Parts: sequence; C-alpha cells; structure tokens
Amino acid sequence: MLLFIPEFIGRFHPLLVHLPIGILLLAPLLQWLSRREGYTLAAGVLNVVWLLGIGSALLSCITGYLLSLSGEYDKGTVNLHMWAGIGVTLVAMFAAVKVFNKQFDNIYKATAIGLLLLITFTGHLGGSLTHGGDYLFAGLGDGNNRTDEKPVLIADVQAADVYADVVSPMLKSRCYSCHGPQKQKGGLRMDSPEGLMKGGKEAKAFIPGKPDESEMIKRLLLPPSHEDHMPPKEKPQLSEAQIALIHWWIEQGAPFNKKVQTLTQPEKIKTYLQALQGATTEEKKLPSNVPAAEVAPAAEKDIAALAAKGVLVMPVAQDVHYLSANFVNAGGFSDQDAALLLPLKQQLVWLKMGNTGVGDSTLQVIGQCPNLTVLQLNNTSVTDKGLAFLQPLSALQSLNLVGTAVSAAGLEQLKGLQQLQSVYLYRTKVTAQDWPQLKKIFPQAAIDSGGYVVKTLATDTVEKK
Amino acid sequence: MIQKELHDKRLLKEAEMAVTRMYTRRHFLMESAMGLGALALGSLLPGCGTGKGSNNKIAFDPAHPLAPRMPMFPGRAKSVIYLHMAGAPSQLELFDYKPALQQLDGQDCPPSLLEGKRFAFIRGVPKMLGPQAKFAQYGDSRAWVSEHLPHLSGVVDDISFLKGVTTDQFNHAPAQLLVHTGSPRLGRPSMGSWITYGLGTENQNLPGFVVLTSGGKFPDAGKSVWGSGFLPSVYQGVQCRSEGDPVLFIKDPEGMDRNLRKASIDAINKVNEEEYKEYNDPEILSRISQYEMAYKMQIAVPDVMNINDEPAYIQEMYGVQPGRACFANNVLLARKLVEKGVRFVQLFDWGWDSHGTDASLAIDIGMINKCRQVDKAVTALILDLKQRGLLDETLVVWGGEFGRTPMMENRDGKQNPFKGRDHHVDAFTIWMAGGGIKKGYTHGETDEIGYSAVSGKVTAFDIQATILNQLGFDHEKFTYDYQGRPFRLTDVGGKVIREIIA
Repeated sequence: MLLFIPEFIGRFHPLLVHLPIGILLLAPLLQWLSRREGYTLAAGVLNVVWLLGIGSALLSCITGYLLSLSGEYDKGTVNLHMWAGIGVTLVAMFAAVKVFNKQFDNIYKATAIGLLLLITFTGHLGGSLTHGGDYLFAGLGDGNNRTDEKPVLIADVQAADVYADVVSPMLKSRCYSCHGPQKQKGGLRMDSPEGLMKGGKEAKAFIPGKPDESEMIKRLLLPPSHEDHMPPKEKPQLSEAQIALIHWWIEQGAPFNKKVQTLTQPEKIKTYLQALQGATTEEKKLPSNVPAAEVAPAAEKDIAALAAKGVLVMPVAQDVHYLSANFVNAGGFSDQDAALLLPLKQQLVWLKMGNTGVGDSTLQVIGQCPNLTVLQLNNTSVTDKGLAFLQPLSALQSLNLVGTAVSAAGLEQLKGLQQLQSVYLYRTKVTAQDWPQLKKIFPQAAIDSGGYVVKTLATDTVEKK
Repeated sequence: MIQKELHDKRLLKEAEMAVTRMYTRRHFLMESAMGLGALALGSLLPGCGTGKGSNNKIAFDPAHPLAPRMPMFPGRAKSVIYLHMAGAPSQLELFDYKPALQQLDGQDCPPSLLEGKRFAFIRGVPKMLGPQAKFAQYGDSRAWVSEHLPHLSGVVDDISFLKGVTTDQFNHAPAQLLVHTGSPRLGRPSMGSWITYGLGTENQNLPGFVVLTSGGKFPDAGKSVWGSGFLPSVYQGVQCRSEGDPVLFIKDPEGMDRNLRKASIDAINKVNEEEYKEYNDPEILSRISQYEMAYKMQIAVPDVMNINDEPAYIQEMYGVQPGRACFANNVLLARKLVEKGVRFVQLFDWGWDSHGTDASLAIDIGMINKCRQVDKAVTALILDLKQRGLLDETLVVWGGEFGRTPMMENRDGKQNPFKGRDHHVDAFTIWMAGGGIKKGYTHGETDEIGYSAVSGKVTAFDIQATILNQLGFDHEKFTYDYQGRPFRLTDVGGKVIREIIA
C-alpha cells in the first residue's frame, strides 16, 4: 500500500502545474505594471507573488518527478519536460532574487522574458505528454479530420498483410495515442509487435489463439461505463467489425507476418474483411433520388400558380432547389392545367400525381422534366399512347402506374430508362404472360404487379382455449 | 347566494389582477429590464448554437401550424405506421429462436442470471421456460419465424429485424413513454408530434398524426404516448375509432346543418381574430386553424375512415371485421390514411402482457390468440403497401415496449397458474420494413438463451434516430426550445442504425 503513495502524490502534478504557470506569468507582469502610475503595488505584495510562484514550481517539480516514475510516458519527452521545469524554477528564483534586491536592470528584464518563453515551452511539452504530440495542430488541416479520419482502403484485402494492413491501422487510430510513442499507459506500448507481445504492467495484452482470455479483448468488450473499458468511454470507440477482426486475429494466433488469405475466415469475418476493400464490394446502397448537380431556384410565381390549383410544391429538403409536387389536395387537376408544370421542369424531381384527372397529354409535359426520379400516376387515365412521352426521362427511378390502362406493349416504349428501379403495375392490363417480356424490358428494376393474396387459414379465425 | 357572490367577486378580482398585471409600471419595468438583459445575453453568446450551419430551423408559422414543411435532407420515407403491441410480445416465441433454452426448460434459473437484476414480478429463483413454439427459417434471408406467425413468415424478405433491442424500463407505462416520447417520465412530445411539427401535413383536410387503438384497453401510459408535450397542442395525435363515429363529437348535432356550423365557426374565428389582434398570442392562431381543420375533417374523416368502400378482396386480405373495433380494421385504415397523405399513424393493440396469470395472458394460449389477431393484417399491410408502390415511402415499425424473460414467471415466488414470462429489458425484437430500410436483413443477436443482446445492441433512442433519419431529419439538430434550452426526441442519446438502411 505504501508503495502507491508516491504515485498517488504524483497524480497531483497535472493539477499543480497550473499554479506556477499562472503565478509566474503574472509576477513579471505585475512587476512591470506596478512601476506605472496608478498601478503602484506595495513591494511586499509582489514578493509574496514571486514566492508563491517559486513554491508552487518546486511542488510541481517534485510531483512531476513522482509521476514520471510510473513510466507511462515517452521517456525522451518526459526528460526534456523535467529539465525544462527545473529550469523554470531556477530562472524564477534568480529573477526573484533580483526583485528582492530591487535590481531592475537589463539582466532582470532578459530573465523575465526568458522565464515567459521557458514556461510556454515547458507547458507545451507537458501538453504533448498528456494529449499526444499532434494534439495542438490536430484541429487545423482540412477541418474535417477531427472526428473520424477516413479509413484507408485496401486494394486487395486477401493479399494484404493481416497485421500491417488490417490490425495495426485499427490500433493506430484507436490505441496509439495512449499506448504509443508518446505515452505508455499501464506500461503498454502497442505500436510495434514487440510492444504488443510484451504486454503491460498488469497482464499480457493477449494470449495468441485464446482471444476470450486475452486482456485486450476483455477490455474492449466491457460495457463502456466500466472503469477498465478500453478505449475510455470519452475516446472514439472501435466498431463492432473492428473488435471482431482483432478477436479473429488473436484467435488465428496473432500472426505478425501472415497474409490474410492464408488464414481461415468464418463467414462473418469475410464480410468484415471485404468492407475494408471499400466501396467496390460494399453492399449496394440505394442511389439518391435527388440529383447531385445544383439547380437554380424556381420562381415563386410559378409555384404559386400551382398552389392555386391545390398542388403542394416544395423543395425536397432545406437548402435544396429541387422540388416535389404533391397532388393529394388537387384531385381536380387535369390536362388543361398541365402547362403550369413547364416553368418548373428543371426543378421537379418527385411528381406525385396519383388520383388526379390527368391523362396522356399531361405526360407530354412531364416528359420534358429531365430530372424526374419519382413519378406516380396511379389511378389516372394515362394509357400506352402517353407512355411514349416518358422516353426522355432518363433519370427516372420509380414509376407508379397502378390502376391505369397501360399494358406490356406500352411499357416496351420505356426500354431505354436505365435508372428505373421500381415499376408498379398493380391493376393494369399487364398479365402473368407478360412477365418474361417485362423482365427483358426492365432487367434492373423490381417489377410489382401486385394482386397478392393472404390466404385465410383455419387458425386465423379460431380462438385457442 | 352569499357563496355565489363571493365566488363571483373572487373571479372578478382575479380577472382584474390579470389585466392590471399587464399594465403596471413595475411590471413594465421588470419585463423590459429582464428582456433587455436576455437580449444582451443573447448577443453575447452568438457562438453557442447547437451545431454548425444551424440547420435546425423549423419555419413554424402559428397561423398555419400544419402547413407542410421540408425536412433537413431528402428523406426516404414520407410517412410512418407504428404498430405497437402494448404489453410487450415475447420475442422468444416469435422471432428469437433459442434451441438451447429448450435444454434448460424446467430447471432452476442459474444464480448468475439473477445477480444484480431486478424483475417486475419474478422473486426468488424462477424456473427456465423453453420456447413455446416451433420455429423455421423463411425467405431468401433465412429469417427465423415461429409457427404463431404463419402469414408474416411469407414476407420476411421485406423486413429488417432488430434482435438486440434493449431498454432500461421494466414497467409498461414508463417503457412505452420511452419508446414513443424519448423519456420514461411524462411531459415530452411523442414521436408523431415531433414529426408533424417537423413536416406538417400534406393533406389539408386530415390531421397529420392519427392514433388508432384496439385490444379493448388503452396503452398503460395513456394518451401521453401520443401527446404533444411542450410542442404546440395542435401536434398531438388525433385518436380515431374504427367503431361508431371515427372522431368523437365531430358530427354535427341533430338539426344543425352544415351551413349553420360554418357560420358558427366563422363567428368564433372572428372573435378569436380580435383576440389575437389584442394579445398577439400565437396559440390563438393555432386555435383558429384547428377550428377550420375540424370543419374540413367533418367531411374528410368519415370518408377516409370508412373501410366498407374497400373491395371485398382487400377486406378479405386484411381479415377485417366491419363495424367492430379490431386491429385488422385499424391496419387497413392505416393504409388508407397513409395513402391520403397522413404522416404518422400509430396503432396500439393491447393484450400482449403474457405473464401467465390467466389463460388470456398465457404464453401458450392468450398470446397465440393475439398472434392470430395481428398476423394476417400486418402481412396484408406490407403486401398491400408494396403493390401500391407505397412501401418504398412508408416506414412500418412493429414492436413492443420491452421483451420477456427466458424464465417462467413466479409471481411473488409462487408458480403462476399458466405458462408466462415476466417483463425483460435486456433483449427483445422490433422490426421495420419499407421507407428505405433494408429488405430481408437481421441486425443484432442475443446470447444462446436470449437473455441479453450480445451484438447489434440498440435502444429506443437509436430506433427514434433511425425513424427521423428516414424522414430526413438529423435527430441531433431537430430541436425545440423550451424552458430555456433546446429539447430533442432522442434526449442526449441515439445513433442512427446505419446497418439496416438500404
């Protein structure tokens, strides 16, 4: 128990250091000020300030030395920091002697300025020790890398080195700041195979082949609120996939020079490894149904003209000029009104025209809206003839023709629409025989002709007693 | 008489006080001093926003509180149907297949599972209870579903299951509040209110947020689960009934024709407008618009709430029982409402609290009957939305407020008369479909007896964050200022469950 006392006292160092920094910066300033008219201070006050500064600097030196004995910090930096700290104390003492003797000559001035610089330098070293050497400038650069750096993609994960390319980048981004060249918390240094093998003061970092008994995995899996959870809960955490990969690596005997392909890979690990290869093999995400290119805002009066017909025209999101038009309150909208859409043809992306009075001649107008991605014409009087007008809609992703008189022949005209992902044909003239043809017309799209039945089972209406 | 006089006097005095309070010199000085102080403070703290870009502006117009508004970013979903199985269905008999639990059936629960845990009713050492259902894998996604849901097993390829849902509330009311309002205590706005506040309503003749209940009882948390909390009251859920008048007291009384109704509403609104000119209270404008909405709803609501005009094969598909208050009717109504542009439809079905205290609450009797009541309708909902092209933009969520224990309940240490399970907070299943959610996917796993989530652990906040994300809102920036600070649905938690987003 007694052995812990020095370390306990040492842990007051980060608290105490701020006293000499503040006081010793203040002392020369007050000294200088007090010689100006209106700021005069009694000499005794200044002496006390200097003495307090020197006293707290001495205490900081002692606690700092005790803390450095824990060995958790980078030796080189600690050494430099220690000597700089002792330097601060000595220089402050020298300046104080000058002050007590009222020798405000040039030597005093140089000493005072030197003291300021030395404090700054020492403080910076101390900061680097606790927060890491790259802490101060981490916020600069492109401004986005503060929260989470983009993971480096691996070109071919199977040919990659399991430690150098898979495991160590994860450790680097999540562990090195406390277990690396700057600091070795708990005596553990993880930036080299030797350090990892050696482990920390309390335990080995891992036991090759036995991930569940490995300290590292145990700590990663503890609940974040637990004291021993790693990384500490206020630091960025490893993802589930990253933990699984480290677990797998240890299970495989924690090899440092093996290629990924030489190791056995369970199904789950395979997908996690694939993900490291990046976008090419990642699952297909739904494409955006709003174009990436900017567009000029639509004129207010054109929107108002549609609003007067009950059509709800509004941007698809804040700060976006692309528009959605919703006809849910505009059941009376008909072919005569269709021309109102034309001034908005560049902006319109979602057009929900279901259950309105529109027919084929409106499609002629719609065909001129090149950015349309979603088009709903359900329960309108559009026919095969009108579908021909939709051919230019190359961005179209979703087309709803439920409850219209269209047939497979009419849909044949839309063969060129490569982006189409869903086509809804419930209650149309499309029949089961048309399926092979439709599959050919829209090879990429999910075609839904509905008519689903949920059969009533005997149990559906019976109550179990 | 004396008492009445006294009462009148007191009322008069109160009114006078209220008026004078508005005009006294002291009051004026105090107001302006505080006001100036606040103004000054506000200008001193320009950097204290809730985030860069201040994307959280909701253009709230008190005269048109339900006017449609745009989301922060283009959302995948346009509306939400939330099917809440009040009482909490057992994940162990429906989706979370645990053969290892069968091996332990009837044995004493090991002390390691009980240490440091508290249960709502279990006391002492309970016995383990094996799965009371047969399971099989279905669809291309090979999702496990039990024999109790024979219909739903056919649509698993449209669903994303969340098997590692956890909560920290083991009583119904607080747990339901947590799921729907983001806080186990009363007073926060419900999810539907937040969404209507953020997006308004597309259909100007219908409310943006409709609530339908079945199962013979309200959810334990009462109407607070669709309340508007501190948001303007116009955003609270409008409860409709599938039996009798859909909205109570909306029909004109006998002998009153619609013109007279219109005239009286106009007169009331005129008074309110005068009132507004005098006091400038935005709630008065909300009130005016609510009167107008109610007038329009008199026609629109009975129309949309009428399931009889649906073709027979659709009625058959859902298994509706016209004229009765039942879950299937509500589900069909939900589809109709969403089709008409309603943003948020919330269904509560009571009766899933399978403790085993009587036959209707037995895991092998009552719960099976509950499954039979919802299975067909829910399956029909997914397929019907799909064939109409609505599933892409309608997010369907199904779940309870917590899960149920792998142990058999022994209320107060004594064996219950029927097989049942107690409330369980460490693992349960919620599923989502449509609205840009992955098709045929399972996220999260529980341990081999379904006691705790071991991966893909999510909370109510994560689910709320995901729902808001699908509608186009960043749950961290979507805030409402109240009592001097911004509030959000997800409080200080929540992470969008990216794994289940298509």
